[in-house]
Amino acid sequence: MLFKNLTCSFLLLITLTSFISPGYPNASSQIKKWVISENSNLRVNGSTNINTFICEIPSYDQIDTITVNKSNKDVLLSGTINLNVKSFDCHNVIMTHDLRKTLKQDQYPVLHISFLTLNKLPDLTAKAEPVTGWVFIEIAGVRKRFEVNYQISQDNQKIIHLLGSRDVNFSDFNLIPPRKLGGMIKTNDKLSVDFHLKMKSMD
Amino acid sequence: MLIIYCTLYKHDFCNFKNKFEKMKKILISGLIAGVILFIISYGGLFLAIRFFPTLFIEYNGPLFNSDGSRDVLFYMHAFIISLALSWFWDRFKSLFKGHSLLRGLEFGFVYAIIALLPVMWISFSALDITLPIVISWFLYGFVQAIIAGVVFAKINP
Repeated sequence: MLFKNLTCSFLLLITLTSFISPGYPNASSQIKKWVISENSNLRVNGSTNINTFICEIPSYDQIDTITVNKSNKDVLLSGTINLNVKSFDCHNVIMTHDLRKTLKQDQYPVLHISFLTLNKLPDLTAKAEPVTGWVFIEIAGVRKRFEVNYQISQDNQKIIHLLGSRDVNFSDFNLIPPRKLGGMIKTNDKLSVDFHLKMKSMD
Repeated sequence: MLIIYCTLYKHDFCNFKNKFEKMKKILISGLIAGVILFIISYGGLFLAIRFFPTLFIEYNGPLFNSDGSRDVLFYMHAFIISLALSWFWDRFKSLFKGHSLLRGLEFGFVYAIIALLPVMWISFSALDITLPIVISWFLYGFVQAIIAGVVFAKINP
């Protein structure tokens, strides 16, 4: 009787767990690692009611890895780039100071971009392929999920170029854009963020 | 004590009714001039930023507050200067003679020489600001004082 109960329980367990997909990549999944090189950069384009400004991190100073996991239909990414706010250069001491202050550099010295998904696995040819994907952007302690438009290509030296662009708002991160003279001179809420990651595939 | 003193001696100092009337006149003319200066100063500034934006690029500097925490103080300036000038006018108005426009102009000139010039001098010597900015501040204050002077000459001659 006991043996029969145990057998039934075991069969039930097998049957039920067969409907649960495994948390690890299955045999059909395809995993690649893209290593970000130091020549990557990020640019922020913004404007005030009297001028425009460009702030950039001209050279990403860390080596990070993005793991690309192609399962049945989704392309899952994991990996984060960590950008030092003090690395921003607006080519103008004053604008640089203002941007760092607005991004609360003293409190939050690093901003993070975490890669989540791609809508498809790119073919990686010389011709740039448009792809979209989701990322988490964390600025000044506030994390938001954004859809980013990418252009992905691979050059002759097997370097993968990932160009991403996305408009974000200061207000998305509860930040107050700089303003002068009682708000008569004000920075517009919208910022256009462009980044160019140069990566090598390690598969 | 003050009431007892005034009841006994009838000193000019005790003429509270006159003093109150005078204070009221200073306040009212100061407030009227404040409203006029508010409209002209900030309206002019708004238009100047709109039509000559390059002149204001220097204001995008760390010298100028950028978090909006002092906006109220900034917009109160028209009333602060008007009330101060109103008191100054009341004390020295007898020195300014002639047509109200002329009195206003002379009043503005006196204010510019006594108050603005030394402040602009020390600002330029101590702060990292350009000569055009200092000159524009000087002219801005000079024009404000002339307008206030003309208003006072009309309201509180």
